[in-house]
Amino acid sequence: MEIEAPFKEIIEEIKEFGGEAVKYCYQCGKCDTVCPWNKVTNFSVRRLIREAAFGFPEIDREEVWRCTTCGRCVEVCPREVRQVEDMVAMRRIAVGYGVSPSFLRMVRSATAGLAAEGNPFVEDRAKRADWAKESDVQTFTEEMEILYFPGCFPSYDARLQNVARATANVLNKAGVEFGILGSEESCCGESIRKVGNEDLFKTLAKDNIKTFIENGVKKILVSSPHCYHTFKNEYPEFMVHFDVVHITQYLLELLNEGRLQIGKEYTKKVAYHDPCYLGRHNNVYDEPREVLKKIPGLELRELYESRENSLCCGMGGGRIWIDTDMEERFSNIRIEDAVELGVEVLVTACPYCIDALEDSRLGLNYEDTIQVLDITEVLQEVI
Amino acid sequence: MEGEVLLKDKIRQLKEKIEDKLGKKDFGDVLIVGGGISGIQASLDLASSGFKVYLVDEAPSIGGHMAQLDKTFPTNDCSI
Amino acid sequence: MEYCPVVYPDAFNQGISNEKAIHIYFSQAIPLITYIDESCLYLEEKKCRICENICQNDAIDLKQEPKKKEVNVGAIILSPGIKPYDPGAMKEYHYGDFINVVSSMDYERIMCATGPYQGEILRAFDLKSPQKIAWIQCVGSRQVIEGGNSYCSSVCCTYAQKQVILTKDYNPDAECTIFHNDIRSYGKDFERFYERTNALPGVRFIRSYTNIVREDPETKNVFVRYATNEEGVKEEEFDLVVLSVGLEPPANYDQMADIFDIELNEHGFCKTDPANPIQTTRPGIFSCGAFQGPTDIPESVFSASGASSQCGQLLNFRRGKLAQDKVYPPEIDVSGEEPRIGVFVCHCGANISRVVDIPSTVDYCLTLPNVVYAMEQLFSCASNSAQEITDMIKEKGLNRVVIAACTPRTLEPLFHDTLKEAGLNQYYLEMANIREHDSWVHSKAKEEATVKAWDLIRMSVARANLLEPLQEIDLPVNKAALVVGGGIAGMNCAFSIAEQGHIVHLLEKEPVLGGIARKIHDTLEGLDVQEYLRTLIEKIYRHPLIHVYTETTITEVTGYVGNFVTKVQSEKGDAVIEHGAAIIATGADVYTPTEYLYGEDERVLTHLELEELMAKEDEKVTGAQSIVMIQCVGCRNEDRDYCSRICCSESIKNALKLKEINPDLDIYVLFRDIRTYGFNEDFYREAADKDVRFIRYEPEAEPQIEPGTGEEDGRPVLKVTLPDYVLGKKLELDADLVALAAATIPAPTTKEVAGQFMLTLNPDGFYKEAHVKLRPVEFATDGVFLCGLAHYPKFIPETINQAYGAASRVLTLLSHDTVTASGSICVVEDEKCMGCGACVTACKYDAIKLQKTRHGDKAMVNPVLCKGDGLCNAMCPTGAIQLKHYTDEELFSMIDTMIPVEEEEKADAIAGGV
Repeated sequence: MEIEAPFKEIIEEIKEFGGEAVKYCYQCGKCDTVCPWNKVTNFSVRRLIREAAFGFPEIDREEVWRCTTCGRCVEVCPREVRQVEDMVAMRRIAVGYGVSPSFLRMVRSATAGLAAEGNPFVEDRAKRADWAKESDVQTFTEEMEILYFPGCFPSYDARLQNVARATANVLNKAGVEFGILGSEESCCGESIRKVGNEDLFKTLAKDNIKTFIENGVKKILVSSPHCYHTFKNEYPEFMVHFDVVHITQYLLELLNEGRLQIGKEYTKKVAYHDPCYLGRHNNVYDEPREVLKKIPGLELRELYESRENSLCCGMGGGRIWIDTDMEERFSNIRIEDAVELGVEVLVTACPYCIDALEDSRLGLNYEDTIQVLDITEVLQEVI
Repeated sequence: MEGEVLLKDKIRQLKEKIEDKLGKKDFGDVLIVGGGISGIQASLDLASSGFKVYLVDEAPSIGGHMAQLDKTFPTNDCSI
Repeated sequence: MEYCPVVYPDAFNQGISNEKAIHIYFSQAIPLITYIDESCLYLEEKKCRICENICQNDAIDLKQEPKKKEVNVGAIILSPGIKPYDPGAMKEYHYGDFINVVSSMDYERIMCATGPYQGEILRAFDLKSPQKIAWIQCVGSRQVIEGGNSYCSSVCCTYAQKQVILTKDYNPDAECTIFHNDIRSYGKDFERFYERTNALPGVRFIRSYTNIVREDPETKNVFVRYATNEEGVKEEEFDLVVLSVGLEPPANYDQMADIFDIELNEHGFCKTDPANPIQTTRPGIFSCGAFQGPTDIPESVFSASGASSQCGQLLNFRRGKLAQDKVYPPEIDVSGEEPRIGVFVCHCGANISRVVDIPSTVDYCLTLPNVVYAMEQLFSCASNSAQEITDMIKEKGLNRVVIAACTPRTLEPLFHDTLKEAGLNQYYLEMANIREHDSWVHSKAKEEATVKAWDLIRMSVARANLLEPLQEIDLPVNKAALVVGGGIAGMNCAFSIAEQGHIVHLLEKEPVLGGIARKIHDTLEGLDVQEYLRTLIEKIYRHPLIHVYTETTITEVTGYVGNFVTKVQSEKGDAVIEHGAAIIATGADVYTPTEYLYGEDERVLTHLELEELMAKEDEKVTGAQSIVMIQCVGCRNEDRDYCSRICCSESIKNALKLKEINPDLDIYVLFRDIRTYGFNEDFYREAADKDVRFIRYEPEAEPQIEPGTGEEDGRPVLKVTLPDYVLGKKLELDADLVALAAATIPAPTTKEVAGQFMLTLNPDGFYKEAHVKLRPVEFATDGVFLCGLAHYPKFIPETINQAYGAASRVLTLLSHDTVTASGSICVVEDEKCMGCGACVTACKYDAIKLQKTRHGDKAMVNPVLCKGDGLCNAMCPTGAIQLKHYTDEELFSMIDTMIPVEEEEKADAIAGGV
């Protein structure tokens, strides 16, 4: 066995970067038993925490970058070790030391894109509102009741632009006065922060905050739970407080107020997949289900890992930019579970989840068996 | 001398008064709340060293949780 | 009950079986009467009233209203006990969701002979016996997240082991797996129990918390995931999962606090003072048992006794004024009559009847000579059965009683009482143990077991024929007490006894009082020990009834319960002390390590030595950059197979104190299991919060220690290396000081005192109490009591509980003018005695003396010293000494009825031929 002495400088650094709670760990192993990685490979959260506690994080190994920050372990940890924060702290150290192994290739390009164009695809900032060209979408002005902030994927990704458009359709149908920021919108910064790039997160956050203030934004509607999380829980670090609402919450509000009317049936068996950042991180479990239950004909079934126990799609924590072997994708398990449950549509409310689940659906040849849809895509069919 | 007798009388009267007030009938030494193993043990000790004990329990029987146990560590003696 | 239409889950059986609205709570309930609960149709909807009409005695009054009764008392003891944690509070356990996930309380009822399956261990789902069972520890305990409790529930590790052992007894092929974090075998004999469980085939202890993943839709088996260091996360299928639920304060604790106007601690248990854990925040109201915090049975028992002693202190002036003695009917002389034997065969719920065929056994009994009556009983020990026995004695004119049930060890006194109630001499009782000696050990061979039961009963009946009435002796009681040992235990015990009006002689071998506590400065709860000691010592010296002897040695102890004579030498000179009771509080010592360079390198200390340096603010401590603490030094090994209980908390206490002195100090605690049971778990987390690092080691790879130089600054340090199993690496730690958690060992005087007072020791050299659970502060030797570290290592509050507990037990003796000695004692037939003295040496109680008579030396038995063990009988070459109640004639009659005479002769012939 290799002999090492505790590395005090690193311990201090982890503490400084927000991983202080690793000191509480009493190595019960609970985190390992719930970690989704252990469904597909061997991965020890407990060891990573222990390494952090003694100052031995192996920041060049993929282990440190595996965590999808799904929060499953945090939810059950009996000693409040806050594993996710430690994972981010270790990545911040790695970024600080300029460590950039080959598996972080896409992170590098995303970083470049975010810095230059405010999106991770290195797409032209000016094209950010292209998805809305054919729709009836205005640029946001101060008098409007709400800002719609679609986020990067619904703005640029071909599949997810449908979600942005569906959202716009539903909002228009309900007579909501809303607008978008278009090219003034930047990435919310949530994911780049999770891979340890604190500086870039701050830049993006400040850009957005500045834009919001300049445009007189008070209430923000988001499609992505990741944007939701960072606006709601992280932007207040900059001493600003915006009223943030996720589309699932907003839809329920519109339905309950009668602004949105459901006119058609939707006779399909449906399961709802809880996105980590909507459910576990922000306790929004009921609103999407309430919305779906209001649709006549729709039969809602529960996946066996749902709500607090929901299985992560695998894309959080910056994993959206890190290749995952086909056989190691959590989204495959999720699709298999949904197929086994006998549902025709797997509904969710997160662009990352849709991206991953669509990929798995195609990869597993379930194109004809099951659909993956955003909740707005279902709704626009019945109103 | 006379004063002393008077004082004794007074004390007796006072005592009677207190006893009247408190009710002679339901006068005990100790009230024990909870008839599990510890409540029972305390009652036994007090009763066998000369005190009148009221033992109360919310269940229809004394015994508490120990009565629900099967056998006990380490001799596997019966719990009851 | 038969007619009641309401069927609903029985709470006593954890809802596993059903019950009627009108029912008996459980078959050994006290009082044993039917009652009607809230599920009654009449009470709910004013319907039904069937039972009222059925009852022939008109005993049912459905209109009864709760009555308020006011009682006036001088003191109150709160012993509301605990509430088992409800695992339904946390979804992840799937309790109530998966049918084969049960709580340990459910499992306790499932195992129990009076439980839903009459002692068969079955799953509710398919009524099949589970083969693979998992226990999940710390359910609801040791967790700071919502739904859980931060403290350790103290009892679950050991009760889970008990359940494993009982499961293996029931089904030797069962595979039992315990998922745990630390194993907390901190109590007396717990460590051996743990090892015993661990050594059973098919039993695994796995150090990992778990995730209950799913159930099989068909078999309803439960899938559990757990973590290993070597092979990652594994998923395993179990037939049954038992959740080892923790203990919570009673459900209505806040209401209770309001009613009695007492304060609670942050966990909802009673707020207690470490200097007197029995006292609540309101004078005159005391708490005991698990209301003080999660505790096991013996500690509940002695804290309960302790509470009664404190009531006694308060109310001593009126002792005996309200209490009444029990009056028995006059004894009928039946010695001249022909034996008329009644046999009562006990089902013991299903403990016996599951194996032994009871009806045929009753029939068999009636065929035995002089048996005039026989009947079966569900529980002979239940109060209705006792009444039945008394009634039958009177009705059938019985003059001998045989109870075929369990061991006489626990219940013989109860049945003695039953006989006395019926006006019979209590020695006309004989018990046939058809449970421990039969149904429990032959559970798989029912027919043979039934025949064995017949044999056992036949033997008992044979003996019962010959039983004679014996008289018990009343001995006067000397009202003084002697306390051996002037530490915290001895002083508190002495004080409590003296406060209740008795003279106490307090002996201390050192020149000053205080014992080992003199070396302790504070406790985790923040008690200033030295200040506490000063006050206590002052109280002792000021008390007019307490006589203190220091620099004392005991030279001789004679006498017996109520009448001891102890000779002592002390700084006061020689003295002869007469006393009615003795309390042994001789304390304990600290092991002198031979491990980890102790004694070779002055930087290696014990914790007590470290504490001393800390108190003096020694430069060695204040200047240190790094301190390593090593746990379990000198115990939990082959030499001392027990856990010293206090060291984990002691180390954490010192670590926290050191962090207060110097927050930058690096502290590493090297442990095997952290055993901060109860509320001390919070301090364990606090230490982690203050950056104290905990590293687990295995006994196979103990930490290595050698002098070296510091990693960064080259300062001279001790290098401590050990593997870390989670990291898969060896850690090398620099230490300026190494503190060893040296074992607590029995005091050197223990053996000597044991010899003087005729006491026994356990395998670890601590004193052995009369009964682990029910008589934890008494010795088997009457009139001698026990408290403090001499019993087993324990914390100061625990010691104080126990000291008061011992005082209470002493008071149950000293508050009486006489004490009764057993009638089952030895007598010498003078004509046969040759005066050889073999019996004198055989007697362990000094009960026999040789006395010169006209016919030479003859043995004489002192009836009050004789304990009736019969050792002398076996030694006597002429059969001159006989033990009453166990005479040769009685015992031979049992053998004769077991082995018919012809066979005996045959055996003799064969033996003779050889």
